[in-house]
Amino acid sequence: MTKAGKLTGVSLAVALSMGLVAGCGGNGGNNEAGGQQTPTSSGTASQQAQQTEQAKPISLEWLGYDSYGQPNPNSSVIKMVEEKFNAKFDFWYVDSQKWEDNLNVRLASGEMPDVLKITNRQNIPKYISQGIISPIPMETLEKFAPTYVKFLNENYPELWDGVMYEGQIYAIPMTNLNGTYPTVVIWRKDWLDNVGISKIPETIAEYEEAFTKFRNEDPDKDGKKDTYGLSDFALPNILGAYGYPGISDFKGASKGDASKSVQFTMKDGNVVLTSIQPEMKEALTLLQKWYKAGLIDPEFLTSENTTGYWADSQAFYNSKIGITGMSMFYHWRNELNPDIPDDAGGGQYKAFKESVPDGEAVFGVPAVGPNGASGTPMWDTASHPIAITSKAMENPEKLELLLKMIEAACTDYEYYLTLTNGEKGVDWTLDGDKFVNLTATDTLAEANVKGKNVLNAKVSYDPFIKQRDKFDYEFADKYGKISGYSAVFVPTLEEFSKYSNTLNKLTVDAYFKIITSDVDPSAYFDEYVANFRANGGDELEKAADKAYKEMVGQ
Amino acid sequence: MTSNRTLSDTLFMGFVYIGLGALSITTLLPLLQAITISLSPPDVVNSYGFHLLPTKLDFSGYERVFQYDIIWTAYGNTIMRTLLGTAITLVLTFLGAYPLSKRTLPNRKLWTGVVVLTMFFSGGMIPSYLLIRNIGIMNSIWALVLPGAVSAFMLLIVRNFIAALPESLEESAKIDGANDIVVLFRIVLPLSLPIIATVGLYSGVSHWNAWFDSMIYIQDEHKQVLQMILRRILLEGQDVSAESGSGVHAQAVNTETVKMAALVVSVLPILCVYPFLQKYFVKGTLMGSIKG
Repeated sequence: MTKAGKLTGVSLAVALSMGLVAGCGGNGGNNEAGGQQTPTSSGTASQQAQQTEQAKPISLEWLGYDSYGQPNPNSSVIKMVEEKFNAKFDFWYVDSQKWEDNLNVRLASGEMPDVLKITNRQNIPKYISQGIISPIPMETLEKFAPTYVKFLNENYPELWDGVMYEGQIYAIPMTNLNGTYPTVVIWRKDWLDNVGISKIPETIAEYEEAFTKFRNEDPDKDGKKDTYGLSDFALPNILGAYGYPGISDFKGASKGDASKSVQFTMKDGNVVLTSIQPEMKEALTLLQKWYKAGLIDPEFLTSENTTGYWADSQAFYNSKIGITGMSMFYHWRNELNPDIPDDAGGGQYKAFKESVPDGEAVFGVPAVGPNGASGTPMWDTASHPIAITSKAMENPEKLELLLKMIEAACTDYEYYLTLTNGEKGVDWTLDGDKFVNLTATDTLAEANVKGKNVLNAKVSYDPFIKQRDKFDYEFADKYGKISGYSAVFVPTLEEFSKYSNTLNKLTVDAYFKIITSDVDPSAYFDEYVANFRANGGDELEKAADKAYKEMVGQ
Repeated sequence: MTSNRTLSDTLFMGFVYIGLGALSITTLLPLLQAITISLSPPDVVNSYGFHLLPTKLDFSGYERVFQYDIIWTAYGNTIMRTLLGTAITLVLTFLGAYPLSKRTLPNRKLWTGVVVLTMFFSGGMIPSYLLIRNIGIMNSIWALVLPGAVSAFMLLIVRNFIAALPESLEESAKIDGANDIVVLFRIVLPLSLPIIATVGLYSGVSHWNAWFDSMIYIQDEHKQVLQMILRRILLEGQDVSAESGSGVHAQAVNTETVKMAALVVSVLPILCVYPFLQKYFVKGTLMGSIKG
């Protein structure tokens, strides 16, 4: 290569890289301005607001919602709230399925919103130590959101425990009305009729009789011995006949979700881990017997939900098993709402009827065990709490605004409906006092885009919900008020994150092994318990007991 | 020799065909299943067994997907990203590889070493995020195409390919009066087309399939790429804990039919392009490996 050639080469490279730098520089400049605009403008806004008294709207960077979709800032719902409170919202959009990964990167790089939804309560201590969230004084809460605080104190006092850390409140608890209804028990009524059982089974003995007949007496009348009693969704119900179910969701636990098997309950005034209680030994012994007798569908290992939405039970839809569960009353609602023209019942009931048009699915009750215990697992009554970040606390008006919004959501019914269901007259109307949903088919993402379920800050105010979904909750009160088990909430523990995955794996392995193999249940269970205790179970249990007693002040 | 094949030859070929046949079936069946489900009503989707041929036709899934604005926006973003990203990758990789292939480059070992070094170390997610943010390309297409613009591995493959071209070709061009630029674009470039096709294809496919960077760097839903939106649609409703909110209508999620329809719509274009590009893929991969 000649000298001249080298020169041209170098200049070419330089020119190219210059062009590139210029190209992205130009673009980047715009972007940087866009990105940094918000903090500076909010900074000046706060100063000016103090001078000119609310002339300028308060800006809030909002992540107080389940971001299934990105809200359109020009949607009528958002505009309405902005006008009502003289506010300006800047929406953070964090992918809801990779929430933690995505959010952690942004938090770690020093960015933070003003209002933050806490998806996992176990993260509260981490956020505190990173200086992300700020304590909220009880007086401020009571001053600006008295109705909501009263509502919590009267109906869900236990939720405060979940947001306290070292005596201070770090987030506003949010409630889940559905958590007060245990997960359902659904029977194939036509099968029960076909095998000559007229009463919906209530005790373990009656359950066993029904399952045996389902297996042996051809309940679907197709001449083939291809039916079973139960699969994995009904297992927690059976465990519940003996005591707190050691695994509340077999599919979730075997996929590695430790919260489905590492749970706490109270026993003789102490907090104990549920999966290693001696009652479970009895329950597993029974399940082993049932498995040997062929009452349990062998495919329960891979779950009766083989595709689609988690509450779907393909085994039940395909007339393979005669009982299912795990889901909520609204999934299986089998009474049609006369006010909705083409109502087909709950989503899973509808899917069942599409697969088995002449099948009949009815609500049952959890099996009652030899000692009188019974129940299905209940969902957490706590939803994701809402926190205010330390950045937002620089301007006290922001917390005030958030609390006023929460207060408005539980004092003004029509305002609440607008927040959760969209624009009046477009998305919903009131026919007398009956709520009519005009856009019920919106998916979660579409709802978010329209501004639904965004600015209610996750508030779900029971009286309004029961007023809105009157038919459904009347139905729930009729059939869904069965006995249930709800876990004791234990404050955040380091031991939990340290041991829970190992413990979950031990539990899942042991439970599946006992049910499906010939091991002596009693000996194997004892071996599992010893193993479990040695691998952190003991340590976790002690820490939980101590933390719980400190929390309740014993 | 073809006339008197031995028995063992025939047997061997038989096994080869059976093996390859089985392999292609294992890749085709899931695709067929996805297509069929995208065309089936829920009761068929929920029934047991394979769904290889549609028994009942139902186009509601596609109807819904075609109304889904965000899918089409994302489609545009992905096409844009793939074209821009591939173009940048090709230009930079080629221009980077050519000098490195020349023995006359001063400190050639050092520069090669610098390139190779990046294959072993990376900045990590949070530093990368900070870098992208501080140079101001956050939330723009540049955050998707620039960080991975040059892959060290690809650069080395191209370098080796160019190094294997006969030196005498360039010399003769020089004798005819060509300067370095002319040599590069009139001699080296045409001869390097197969490797350029390979790099372009690899880069194009990886851009088409990438979603993680989009999730991290793009904070505006309308700038997200197709795979990200697709991923979101596909995973919808599989997790109980997502249902923490109250109300009794929270379960309005997309059905399997819609999910599979979205899947088919997103893989179709690449599926159509692939057969025509595949020969370059095979050719290029071999070139890279044998002479590398």
